[in-house]
Amino acid sequence: MADSEYAPKFAPFFSFAGIAAAMVFGSAGAAYGTAKSGIGISGVGTFRSDLIMKASIFIELIRSLIPVVMSGIIAVYGLVVAVLISQALSPSSNLSLYTSFMHLAAGLSVGLTGIAAGYTIGIVGDAGVRAYMQQSRVYVGMILILIFGEVLGLYGLIVGLILNSKS
Amino acid sequence: MSARKPHGQSYADVAAKPPPKSDSNVTPAVPSDVIFKLLAFTAAMVVGPIGMYFLTVNTIFGGNPTYAGIVAAVTANVVLFAYIYVAWKEDQGDREEASESNSKKAQ
Repeated sequence: MADSEYAPKFAPFFSFAGIAAAMVFGSAGAAYGTAKSGIGISGVGTFRSDLIMKASIFIELIRSLIPVVMSGIIAVYGLVVAVLISQALSPSSNLSLYTSFMHLAAGLSVGLTGIAAGYTIGIVGDAGVRAYMQQSRVYVGMILILIFGEVLGLYGLIVGLILNSKS
Repeated sequence: MSARKPHGQSYADVAAKPPPKSDSNVTPAVPSDVIFKLLAFTAAMVVGPIGMYFLTVNTIFGGNPTYAGIVAAVTANVVLFAYIYVAWKEDQGDREEASESNSKKAQ
């Protein structure tokens, strides 16, 4: 495992930084989305206490869990990129600095877009669930806005995958 | 601890009286089909994408991790849209039931 100018000893550092960035930032975005929309869902019980005895509350709850599911998908994106990068690394091979910076770029792109998407999903989910309890026609609009927010994370994943295939 | 002692009453009075009727409802928990539905989607979300990745990476795509990553992301979105579809259908069934019971009340 010879050192060279293009494959220095410290090159794997940036690859592992990419793995950590993908996982940590993606999960941070997902956590914000889950927590913020969870606050909105918890407000259902106090908001519509007349509904809480009826069976229809469960339909409303299933529907209001959609932001939480979408936040989970943001974390899955980070997980996919982290697994992809980690499979390209091995202790016996010589890693070029170009490849390791590419891994860092892939991890940062999916992680930071994950934060953006999770922030969007959290705020839209919180407000949307509260509005949906008052007027159920908001549902379609809420789903559309949530999907557009989640697509932000998908763009980061696409860029991460393209970067990862360049090695 | 169910019967607290109000002011101006002896413990014997409180114990003799039946416990005050509580307006909080604890009996009908979440129906089991809703629980199973949520559990199934939770399991699909936890196992599905990463399982599809490791299932397809060496069998279908011959060790190319990029396509397997795409498959994992697509699987996660399939689970999401299945959830949205189930929530949609749930509401339609509920509305039909509600309109039926309303029409019965009207008769």
